[in-house]
Amino acid sequence: MATNIDFKNLWKQQTAEKPSIEELLGRLKKFKHENIRKLVVTNILLIITCTFIGMIWYHYQPQMLTTKIGIVVVILAMVIFLAAYNQLFMNFYRLDNNLTNSEYLQNLYLLKNKQKFMQTTMLNLYFILLFAGICLYMYEYTSRMKVLYAVITYAVTLAWIAINWFYLRPKTIKKQQAKINGLIDKFEEINNQLKD
Amino acid sequence: MVFEDIYELYWQKIFRLCMGYVNNSELAQDLAQETFIIVWQQLPKFRHESGIGTWIFRIASNNCLKQIEKEKKFSKADLPVNLEEKKQESLEPQIQLLYQFISELPETDRIIISLELEEVKQAEIAGIVGLSESNIRVKIHRIKEKLTKRFKENGY
Repeated sequence: MATNIDFKNLWKQQTAEKPSIEELLGRLKKFKHENIRKLVVTNILLIITCTFIGMIWYHYQPQMLTTKIGIVVVILAMVIFLAAYNQLFMNFYRLDNNLTNSEYLQNLYLLKNKQKFMQTTMLNLYFILLFAGICLYMYEYTSRMKVLYAVITYAVTLAWIAINWFYLRPKTIKKQQAKINGLIDKFEEINNQLKD
Repeated sequence: MVFEDIYELYWQKIFRLCMGYVNNSELAQDLAQETFIIVWQQLPKFRHESGIGTWIFRIASNNCLKQIEKEKKFSKADLPVNLEEKKQESLEPQIQLLYQFISELPETDRIIISLELEEVKQAEIAGIVGLSESNIRVKIHRIKEKLTKRFKENGY
């Protein structure tokens, strides 16, 4: 049995056809597009929603302060969320490729932890602001209704909020956490490979 | 250095590095292409603080490390340990085994051994991975032992 295997010689024999430069640069477009698409879609959606809410203010001219505060709070919720989301995205996007593996892993690890914070704390903040805003906004219109209808309106809204808060929110967070914790553990494990 | 020359000079090297990392030729092609896309985008910003080789290998290896994110938790179906039947005189299966064994190493070891087999100087490997040169030397020694052992287990 031969014990001295020429690894270098074996290694070099693996080759792959080199795509033409045109083909490679064709991928460049797709690559950029894939990265940016989700960011652009999220931004556009939230900006459209904010504009729509702003139009409501302009069109219906709410009289009560609660309505105005409600609108501001809802818009604030979206703006804060969007700012944090964009910030996180840019951090990933700007992550320097020309670091040593060890520095790069460290950065990935930190970024993933930031993302984890954002997914829980920011999502909670977003929901709270959104719900508070909606409840305030509704007050002006329900106060003009008969008491029974006003109660029903609030009850339905609060039920919808409760479903979101107690069912959808934990479910979303749990799903995101499972994925991100897996990644964080993995990055930590690889980081440790470089420590011993 | 113009991009075309870099591409010409480094394509196979980068492909092999990726191949050692994932042992899947399609995925390795993807990773290699992504690396050159990043190189293309960042070449104008390249400051010659490090050698061009170090720079490219850093980008490639970091890109490999990052791909864990995209990885759909695929469990590598364990290949039968006993590959005796497939053993042929040609070098083919040995090459395949080498890449398979490397891809089964811990992530950073895959990068280190790939660079070593690509005949990158150990000082340069240290600069790519971010460990001391002596550390790299020890690691390479251990990895080679491990690989030799794996080959022996498979009858080589």
